[in-house]
This record gives sequence, C-alpha cells and structure tokens, in this order.
Amino acid sequence: MEPSEAPAGIPVLEVRGLEISYGPVVAATDVFLRVNRGEIVALLGPNGAGKTSVLKAIMGLVRPSAGRVDYLASGARREITRLPTHELARLGIANVPSAQIVLPRMTVEENLLVGGLYLLDDRRAAGRRVGELLDRFPLLAARARQLASSLSGGEQRQLAIARGLMSGPRLMLLDEPSLGLAPIMLNDVFGMLARICREDGVDILMVEQNVRKALEIADRAYVMRIGGIEFSGPSDEVAEMERLKDAYLGS
Amino acid sequence: MSAYLAELVFIGIATGALYAIVAIGFNLVFGTMNVLNLAHGATLMVGSYGLLLVYYLGIDNFWLAAGTGIFVAMATGLAIERAAVRPLRGHWWNTKVATLGAAVFLENLVHVLTNGHAQNVPRPFDPTYYRIAWTIEISDFQVFLIVLSVGVMLGMVWFLTRTRWGRAIRVLAQSPDIAKCVGINIDRVTVLGFAVSGALAGLAGILNAATFGSTYPFVGTLLGLKGIVVLIVAGIGNMRGALYVGLVLGIVETMAVGLGGSTYRDVIAYCAMVLILLVRPHGMFGEQSRVVREI
Repeated sequence: MEPSEAPAGIPVLEVRGLEISYGPVVAATDVFLRVNRGEIVALLGPNGAGKTSVLKAIMGLVRPSAGRVDYLASGARREITRLPTHELARLGIANVPSAQIVLPRMTVEENLLVGGLYLLDDRRAAGRRVGELLDRFPLLAARARQLASSLSGGEQRQLAIARGLMSGPRLMLLDEPSLGLAPIMLNDVFGMLARICREDGVDILMVEQNVRKALEIADRAYVMRIGGIEFSGPSDEVAEMERLKDAYLGS
Repeated sequence: MSAYLAELVFIGIATGALYAIVAIGFNLVFGTMNVLNLAHGATLMVGSYGLLLVYYLGIDNFWLAAGTGIFVAMATGLAIERAAVRPLRGHWWNTKVATLGAAVFLENLVHVLTNGHAQNVPRPFDPTYYRIAWTIEISDFQVFLIVLSVGVMLGMVWFLTRTRWGRAIRVLAQSPDIAKCVGINIDRVTVLGFAVSGALAGLAGILNAATFGSTYPFVGTLLGLKGIVVLIVAGIGNMRGALYVGLVLGIVETMAVGLGGSTYRDVIAYCAMVLILLVRPHGMFGEQSRVVREI
C-alpha cells in the first residue's frame, strides 16, 4: 500500500516497495515508509509481522528481494539498498538490535570505544566521547570497568544505545528498545530516546511492541500486520486507531 | 633432585610457550570466524620448510630464513582462507573437512618433494651451557627460546587488547552483527585473522624445528592436536586462558617425561583434557567462568 499523502518534511530515510523473504517464506512485502528530519518514527505491530526484518533489510543485515531504500547522506540523497552494513555505518546510520546487544567479554568502557573504533578517526576524540557518554549515562559510569555481561538487561540496553551514539550518527535504528525492561527503566530509556532526537539531532526509526509507550514519544507511526504496512499516520491518529481496535476486536 | 626439577620446569616453560603460540593461532581463527582450521598444524610445518628453503638456495642466514618461513606460513594461511574457507562460509562441517583436506594435501606435497626424510634445521647460534645455581644448567639457546615465545605471547595480548585491528578481531569473535554495525569490514578482518594465525603457526614451526634441530612433513600433526587440547581446555575464544593452559601443559608434560619416561607423555595431555572437561564443560576459562576478564 503506497501512502496517498506523503508526510511533510525533508525525508532522511525512504523505503519503497520493500520485500523480504527467507527462502519460500515472505517476511514482509510492499513496505513503504519514511523518516523525516527531526522525527521519531515507530514501526508497530504484533510478533511475526516482519518489523525486525524491515530494520535488518535497511541496515543491510538481510538482503531484500525487492524494493529500494534511499538515504540522505551528508546533504545528498542516495540509494543504499544493497550497500554492505559497515558502509551504512560509515554513512551515519547506527543500529541497536534487540538481542545480543552488547559485547559480553569486553568492559562497558571498551564496548563504548568499539562504537567509534572505525567510525571516529581520532583516538583522543574517541576517549573524550566515551567520557561524555559516561556523564550522560550515570548507570554505565558506575560500571565502566565491569564486563558488559555482568550488566542487567536495562543497563545493557543503555549501553547498546550509548555505543550507537559514540560515532555521532544521523539516523538510529532501534529494534524493540523496551524488550525485557523493568517499568522504571522503560521510562528512562524512552525519555533518553526523545532527548537523543531533540538534543543530538538524531532521527529515529524504532520497532516496538509496546504501542502505548512508543506513541508517547513518536511523531508518526506505521502499523504492520502479516507482512505489510496496514496503517500509518501521526501518533495521535494511530493511537486512536489502536484504541478502536482494542475496543472492537480485543487483542 | 631439586636442581633437576628446576631444569624440568625451565624446559617445560619453553615447550608450553610453544603450545600456547599454536593454541593462540587456532584461537584467532576459531574464536573469530568459527572455523576450526585443521590445517593449522600443516601450516606450521610449511613454515619450518620455508626456513629450509632459504638454506637450500645457498643463503646461510638464520634470521633471513626464519623471516621467510614466517612469510611462507602467512601466505599459506591466506591461501587456506581463500581456497578452503571463504567458498564454504557458514557451512561449519564443510570447512572442517576442507581444511583437513588442505592439511593432508600440504603434508603429502612436502613428503613427496623431500622424499619423506626428516631434515636437519640449523640453529641461529650454538648453545653455551651455564651453571646458574647448584647443578642447574641452562643454555643461552633455551633462554632465547623462552624469551622469544613469551615475548610473542605478550605481543599478541597487546595486539588484541590495544590495537584497532586486534579489537576488531575480538568484536567479530563476540558478534558479527555488532561488528558490521560499528563499521568493521568483517571480510578484511577475517583475512587479517588468517594472516596473523598463519604467521604465528610459522613462528611455532620454526621455534620447534630450532629446538629439536630437525623437521619432518608430519611434524604439525601432533603439535596441532596439542594446540586443540589447549584451546579446548582453556575455553574457546579465550586468548589469555590459552596462554596459561599452554604453559601448564608444557611444564606438566616435561615433568612427567623427566620423572617417569616419555612413554606416557601424550597420554597426560589428553587425560587432563578429559578430566577438566568433565568438571568444566566450557573449559577452564570458558564463557561460564568469571575468572578471566577482558579477552
């Protein structure tokens, strides 16, 4: 389904007609979405709708079978559909996956350093950046020299987000930032994402199952059901839509 | 008696450092690319023949010959990656069979080319023996081997923990997806891993040949197996663990030979492996252990 009216703004990421299949199994088909400058966009939907596959295809971790992805890289729009993941990272796209999100046999500090290993040229700049991020994430600062595997789920999530910020990205892709978080941590992490967008100027595309939380901070949302985009619009419209669904259909 | 024991420990450290270098070479490829390179022992052997090649050509310079041997082994490592690993990426069992095939090919190639005879390997200098205390005698050549082996091990630890490429290897070992997402070109890191691993194998082959004064086409089979034992006992992917376990195995083996006899030398290594794995299935310093940090 191609959206009838394109949302106003400068498109940073634009996905058109994306299709992903694993052998004979089609995970997502006919996906259209865009992220504009300054926006947080949520990609919602139940388990198995193909949300994660869309993120992975954008990041080059799986190869789409059809469609194209365009990205605004340093002022110039270019197609990035089949670029290797490490080149996308160099174009300023950070990715925070939902599982195995930290490097367990490295310290918190080294996990952060790795985020700038190939993306920052200056070693001393990388050291400063680690310091800044530790100031911003006090939970991590307290554990800077511990192994990442010793952190709680919420701390690991923060570490993964901080690692993504190391290189000063323009666009951040997040897969279920709420997964496995305690309710208190949930507010922290989502508040953090809102600030990252507002203060660091990082545009965000996040996949979420926690619809209510995601819509609190998102500007717009896309809803996926069984493989394709079913509905899209500003967060308040999507929230209304979801409430109606809950009321009439249960789920 | 105690002097004799001290001598055994000393020789054991040299042997153990050699095992550790072999195991670290295995680890670089196994821990990062998930490829058990069964041609690692054969690469080691090729390194020792690379050294001999320079002498065959009439150049009588040990250091040049050793450098050539390491270079030849590194090239062999790269060739194995290209021919037996890259085309089969993601097929875990197939790479094992392919690298085993590469080992059989290399060993028999050298066997045919050299008519199967063991070859004498010159030493960089003739050993002089020194009495250091009581009746303990050590040679400057033994000291040289120990310093070199331990130096190489410490160099590897530095490389893996302090340099950009070394860190990239460790990131890849822990998560290929995260590696790609932080801008690491994992194809290039894979090639680098095989190159460093091959060079380490060559170095081990040369150290071994210089220690025994000879080499033969199947010299890598047993040493390679010892490397795998150390790797498994230490815990796969753990560099510092390989260092400790290699040293301990070398010392224990040498003691057993010195006090009991050489008949059961290899039995000890494998029995120790079985016993340790019964108690700690992930190895001494494996994933489940908190003993070793960082690497």
